[in-house]
Amino acid sequence: MKKKRTFKEWIKSRDGQQVLVMFAFMVVPLLLLFVFTYLPFGKMFSFSFYNMKYIGDRKFVGLKNYIKVFQRDDCFDALKLSLYYMLGSIVQLSLALYLATILSFKVKGGNIFKGFMFFPFLINGIAIGFIFKFFYTRGFVFDTVLQWCGFNLEDLPYWLKDQRINNFSLVGTSVWRYFGQNMVLFIGAIMSVDSELYEAAMLDGANRFQQFKYIIVPSIKTIITLNVILSITGSLSAFEPPYVITSGANGTGTYFVVMHEIAHTQQKVGLASAMAIILLLIIFVVTIFQKLFFKYVFKNSEDEDPRAEIRRQRAIKRSIKRQQRLSAAGGK
Amino acid sequence: MSKKKVLSLLTAVAMAVTTMGCGATSETVNTPASQTPVEADAARGEVPSYTTLNLDDYSDFTASIKFVHHKTDREADGTMAAMIAEFNKEFPNITVTTEAVTDYAEDSLLRLSTGDWGDIMFIPAVDKSDLPTYFMPLDTLDNLSAKLNFVDNWQFNNVCYGIPYMANAQGVLYNKKVFADAGITELPTTPDEFIADLKLVKEKTDAIPLYTNYAAGWTMGAWDAYIGIVTDGDNTFFNQKFVHTANPFEDPGDGTGIYNLYKILYDACAEDLIEDDYTTTDWESCKGMLNRGEIATMVLGSWAYAQMQEAGDTPENVGYMPFPMTVNGKQYVNAGGDYNYGININSSDENKTAALIFVKWMVERSNWCYNEGGYTVVIGGQNPDMYAAFDGCEVLADQPSVAGEETLLNDMNSESELSFNAGGNDKVQRIVEAGVTGSETFDEIMADWTEKWQEAQEELGIEVNY
Repeated sequence: MKKKRTFKEWIKSRDGQQVLVMFAFMVVPLLLLFVFTYLPFGKMFSFSFYNMKYIGDRKFVGLKNYIKVFQRDDCFDALKLSLYYMLGSIVQLSLALYLATILSFKVKGGNIFKGFMFFPFLINGIAIGFIFKFFYTRGFVFDTVLQWCGFNLEDLPYWLKDQRINNFSLVGTSVWRYFGQNMVLFIGAIMSVDSELYEAAMLDGANRFQQFKYIIVPSIKTIITLNVILSITGSLSAFEPPYVITSGANGTGTYFVVMHEIAHTQQKVGLASAMAIILLLIIFVVTIFQKLFFKYVFKNSEDEDPRAEIRRQRAIKRSIKRQQRLSAAGGK
Repeated sequence: MSKKKVLSLLTAVAMAVTTMGCGATSETVNTPASQTPVEADAARGEVPSYTTLNLDDYSDFTASIKFVHHKTDREADGTMAAMIAEFNKEFPNITVTTEAVTDYAEDSLLRLSTGDWGDIMFIPAVDKSDLPTYFMPLDTLDNLSAKLNFVDNWQFNNVCYGIPYMANAQGVLYNKKVFADAGITELPTTPDEFIADLKLVKEKTDAIPLYTNYAAGWTMGAWDAYIGIVTDGDNTFFNQKFVHTANPFEDPGDGTGIYNLYKILYDACAEDLIEDDYTTTDWESCKGMLNRGEIATMVLGSWAYAQMQEAGDTPENVGYMPFPMTVNGKQYVNAGGDYNYGININSSDENKTAALIFVKWMVERSNWCYNEGGYTVVIGGQNPDMYAAFDGCEVLADQPSVAGEETLLNDMNSESELSFNAGGNDKVQRIVEAGVTGSETFDEIMADWTEKWQEAQEELGIEVNY
């Protein structure tokens, strides 16, 4: 029978040491996670029930802040702007996937292209804001380039002034910044696809698009799902482009910019905290919906294309016929 | 269950519990009991008050202090270092380190709440009742106001906690040459004359008549500074009557009042008298543009004058005039302290004394105020020449709020989200957008402000007297 060990003996044993080491390694990241993520979040959650400024008195008001968020027009109007950014993220991901597919096959100067396209992601968001402020200024970079292409300055819109297009201009900066990063992630995933599969597909007569559809996409569906979820979440909480380029003025104030304004200029910290919690819930809901959506989409793509069997049968018939014709011709 | 599983489960539970624990913590910060002048003397401990401190007695004083300020440009161009070198000639043993903070209005508030930020800072927008919590009382209001102008900005119960480093008069920057080219010989004194002059500028010169500086944001909030003295000739309006006024944004019909102040901006936008693409304006480059005569006017405080002069080769063309509004036949000018020096209440007595020496030296001997083109803080001090156009105008300073109502304006600003003179830039930007696109009429905006104002009064239970 196994002898019962004391705690001291156990901690000195191999098992005990294992647990101890595991715990010692875990404590540091968990502590950091707790201090810099959960603790501030908990604080913010409690702030959302108070009528308070950063300094001075606090008054408990219960759910009043949450009710106010739903009563105000500006909060949810701002959320509509996220639609622009969602549209942008679709463009961004398609572009990234397209270029990633091309660049993962042999392309001349592929690494240079990768580098150029990834580069914007390395620039600080604030710097990008300033770059694009001048880029979009009337008669500056963008207008000049378009004039080279034959446009008249008079026909060009004001990229940031015209409220019909200024959100698209801002979304453009965000696409420019992030598509390279998405692309690199996609390339990484595509690289891991077994190249024999392409060969086999080619022997079966699959063209590039079919290879993309039936080999690449199913193989990298996890990373696609991840990128879509991150981009959509990012669209809901878009902040840097509108904050730096237009400071949220002229109808470009996203939910985050409005929240920032309420928290820092109007000093309604409780209300802003409540807005943050509500945004968190919205992001939860959207993420869950996306999860379900992808489960549905990829379930279908995993099943074989229903017409593939028919096509295969036809191909077999054709080759038999060809054989017969050949043998008939040879028998002559 | 294996030990591993138990352990991870325990960790998870522990984390969940602590998270919930801090979520449920309720906190109430008590306001400190308000101080009377006598108590303020006690709160200062061994440190002398501003007026009793004689700079010449302290030339051997030894300490090391830190000064947190917002003048990033002066830090970068060496002005700050030069002033401190000058200070060290008189006080060789006091070491002053400085830190210039970009985005000062927000960052300084966050730092203030940590308590450990240095010894001297420019007081950010705190509630007056919180002053004793963070800053050392400098002197009584009576003592200080005998020697210095504009010291009542940060007073609470007749005790002063801050002294302005310079004072600003609120007028309008203009380019003299552009005005001459447009054939304007007399400076405008009413909104109608001003708009007519802007039209002349547009017609006869290539200059932008009125540059809004929309994109920078705070430059739009600068329009708020004219409320009260300039618009009504009443130096008790902004800090005392404004919050109690039911309808501050209605049109008095005689070209005065808050209504007509912002109406100038709206009309200029609607009549296309502003820059072509206001969303991409750049603050740094506008200085040179005014200097060179590419911009005719900008509505900004007098602090901007020196910067405009430095920004180009024709400083003699930069002019400053009173705001074009006449109340009962007279033009009024609002002058007031800029940022105020405040001394950390948590510093040691030595550091407090050294900080006070530094503040007193900066105010009285550094000439900083004059060099920046500021209106003099020391009573009887010399004013720069730029204020020549202000002869014949009445220069007033806003009176402080009534005792017990010190926080009302802040509360109203916050509750109504209009934030007058407190970073409410978006409400002025809205006027520009509406003026240019025609999405809202000016009266609709004013009606909306009135509604917000009245709702806030109701919410805070503020008595409406006017």
